Amino acid sequence: MQAGLLQTYNNSAQRRGAGAWIIASLLFAFYILIYFTEAFTPVAHAIGLSGKWNLYGILYTIAILSGGLYFFKRHGNSRYHRYRTISVMLVQTVFAFSIPWFMELMQTRGFIFSLFWPLKIDYFYPSYIMEYPLPVILYAILGSLIIVPIATFLFGKRWYCSWVCGCGGLAETAGEPFRHLSNKKPGAWKFEQISIHTVMLLALITSAIVLINWGLGKEVNGVMVPMYPAFSTVVFKIQGIYSFFVVALLSGVFGVALYPILGSRVWCRFFCPLAAYMGLIQKLGRFRVTVKDDMCISCGNCSTYCEMGIDVRMYAQNNIDVKRASCVGCGMCAHVCPRGVLKLENKWDPNPMAEESKIKVFDL
Amino acid sequence: MHYVIIGNGVAGINAANQLRKRDETSSITIISKESDHFFSRTALMYVLCGQMSPSDVEPYPRDHYQRMNFTRVRDEVVALSPSETSLKLSSGETIQYDRLLIASGSMARSAGWPGEELDGVGNFVTWQNLEWLTEKSRTAKKAVVVGGGLIGIEVAETLLAAGIEVTFLIREKWFWPIAMDQNEGLMIIDHMRHHGCNVRLQTEVKKIISQEEKVTGVEIGDGEIVDCDIVVATIGVVPQTGWLVESGIELDKSGGIVVGDHLETNLPNIWAAGDCTSVVWFNGIRRPEQLWYTSRDQGRIVGLNMSGDKRVYKRSTFYNSAKLFDIEYTTAGYVNFNFEGEQNWYHREPDTNRTTRITYLPDGSVTGFNMLGRRWDHRILVDWVDEKRQLDWVLQNLHIANFDEEFFPSFKIDTQALKSGVV
Ligand SMILES: Cc1cc2nc3c(=O)[nH]c(=O)nc-3n(C[C@H](O)[C@H](O)[C@H](O)COP(=O)(O)OP(=O)(O)OC[C@H]3O[C@@H](n4cnc5c(N)ncnc54)[C@H](O)[C@@H]3O)c2cc1C
Ligand code: SF4
Repeated sequence: MQAGLLQTYNNSAQRRGAGAWIIASLLFAFYILIYFTEAFTPVAHAIGLSGKWNLYGILYTIAILSGGLYFFKRHGNSRYHRYRTISVMLVQTVFAFSIPWFMELMQTRGFIFSLFWPLKIDYFYPSYIMEYPLPVILYAILGSLIIVPIATFLFGKRWYCSWVCGCGGLAETAGEPFRHLSNKKPGAWKFEQISIHTVMLLALITSAIVLINWGLGKEVNGVMVPMYPAFSTVVFKIQGIYSFFVVALLSGVFGVALYPILGSRVWCRFFCPLAAYMGLIQKLGRFRVTVKDDMCISCGNCSTYCEMGIDVRMYAQNNIDVKRASCVGCGMCAHVCPRGVLKLENKWDPNPMAEESKIKVFDL
Repeated sequence: MHYVIIGNGVAGINAANQLRKRDETSSITIISKESDHFFSRTALMYVLCGQMSPSDVEPYPRDHYQRMNFTRVRDEVVALSPSETSLKLSSGETIQYDRLLIASGSMARSAGWPGEELDGVGNFVTWQNLEWLTEKSRTAKKAVVVGGGLIGIEVAETLLAAGIEVTFLIREKWFWPIAMDQNEGLMIIDHMRHHGCNVRLQTEVKKIISQEEKVTGVEIGDGEIVDCDIVVATIGVVPQTGWLVESGIELDKSGGIVVGDHLETNLPNIWAAGDCTSVVWFNGIRRPEQLWYTSRDQGRIVGLNMSGDKRVYKRSTFYNSAKLFDIEYTTAGYVNFNFEGEQNWYHREPDTNRTTRITYLPDGSVTGFNMLGRRWDHRILVDWVDEKRQLDWVLQNLHIANFDEEFFPSFKIDTQALKSGVV
């Protein structure tokens, strides 16, 4: 029994009751207003901020910090959880909030060092990234193409999703009361495989054509002008569509507003293109949740509290290590398991797909 | 071929799964009086405390029975007639079988206290018990839990967490003597008290006190009365085989169904598996093994045997685990069998509830591990017992078997302690 999780099912706001729908509606309204209107601009100005996004940054950071303290109360008895929660709180405060803020004070555009393409698709848009000094440009490119895959191969995607990322950070802290609401049905898993890889493909295509369009530009009197204006128009349209549907709607509005209904990792599980990219590497990499054979009592705590909707129990009761692309390595399954069956590990595995293939065996 | 399985518990469902794997066409009927779906009995406490919903403790998706083409009957079997190869249900219906599996599990041992039948007195074994206790715990202020074993401590922990004042009556000198030695058992008692549980050792219930059918307290050994509104008796379980007494099936003196190596009973075409079954243990003694793991393994083997195999059920080296409040417990091998000349190597990490106990024989070979406060990989410990590893070697290599979460304080025994042997 984990003290923090008691009464989860006796609290209607955590069980998709009326309270849950109220919270979801408020979040939904907030996100619509902040993304698509200027309603919060006067508020920001009134408290001396330069614009609505600064206000949003402050609120977001407060949500992660206060949610983090709440998380500590619930799961602070585990070091793994303490460390990773401190990490997301620090990263949010320092890298996502303070450094960009400071850069803006210095009259340069803020840069968030804890974000990577394709989550932050702008980092591969030349018009955006070329405004930064060379080291920052190199950081953005090498970060996505070198640091991300290597770190993911070594430690699994958890190094990012549960220790660094702002979206994950919010899910792990303010989203904590809703983690058990993720859908565990096989259908949700199928949907996830299709949706997340589709978004990844869209991100790739969008980035590619934006780059091509830029490459095709020519300089006339020091100004870049497109060589094929018709193509450029299409590219700008696609860029706009991506940023409306994926960035604003999926990662912002629905990603957060649906916390009380579908759990805290809707964006991360179904849509995040960076998660998809790291997931593919994770399957070949070292990270896994090791299952101690024959010790599972099929109680279901692990599956219930998996925010990614992985039916961990199905693996545990069949003695199969969990190597799933979607696992963000939050460690909650291992933490709540009353029989100590599960352990997150980075372990070299010569045949990374072997365990996964067992799951198809007619054995359930 | 019509297979009939009595029991929708872990033994019954595993047998059914194996049967279906072997035989795609035969009809398989599962009878249960308790629930429509297989649920994890070990997880009852998590539903009681609100950590999980009732459907969360069902290990298979709800459509499992359809996909596997199992027929379900929700009724109680009241009699078995081997000569007519039929079962009589409480509804009056009969069911014919070609091959029968009895996996009827165990039921709470009756305490025999005067007043035991009152509504405020109950057990914590079945789904119906869970519903009863959930209802009672909404209004109860004070509870008495009787019986110092695993189920008792789970109930005590849950009721305490629900804000109920709990008195835990234990007959023995310390907690769970069949699994713990004095050091360990008293450490757990301290821990329970630390959490606000009022533990009374060497105390037995004489009778239940009530007023107008409502429980108001229990009278204990020396005549003292402990006030309470509910009493949960967790004094052990016995095989649920009363309905078989006249069937001709051979039962041992505890009521367990006597089976042979292949889990077959003394009657043709009838097998038994799980808690209700009496098997021969490694030391030659026959008795039921009332564990999730053994029930699961027996279910798997009996399923294969019913479909024609001749597999021998042989219990592998003992292991078990539990969580006692927040202290995790792992055991492997045979720590409480008092082998001749057996000695203990015991170590408690300073200022923690983390202990290590290793039993070994005069020749130095280890026979078992009893570990509290950390996670251990029982597979490795079991291997060491089977390989009769030497204590010295085991102590040097113990960290290999550690299974704690990452960043958990690492396992170290200082060399001084290692040398002295007695810690
Ligand atoms: C609270 C609790 C906690 C536990 N924790 C642990 C633990 O941590 N580790 C561990 O190893 N073990 C634990 N156990 C023991 C474990 O749950 C049992 O060993 C296991 O469930 C036995 O499985 P089974 O299939 O033999 O029987 P059961 O699960 O008892 O199933 C019996 C089935 O038979 C049916 N049945 C019985 N009689 C009839 C009848 N006459 N007619 C129709 N149907 C009938 C019932 O409806 C039921 O479906 C715990 C038990 C309890 C109660
Ligand atoms: S792995 Fe642990 S938490 Fe998950 S079902 Fe098994 S015993 Fe329960």
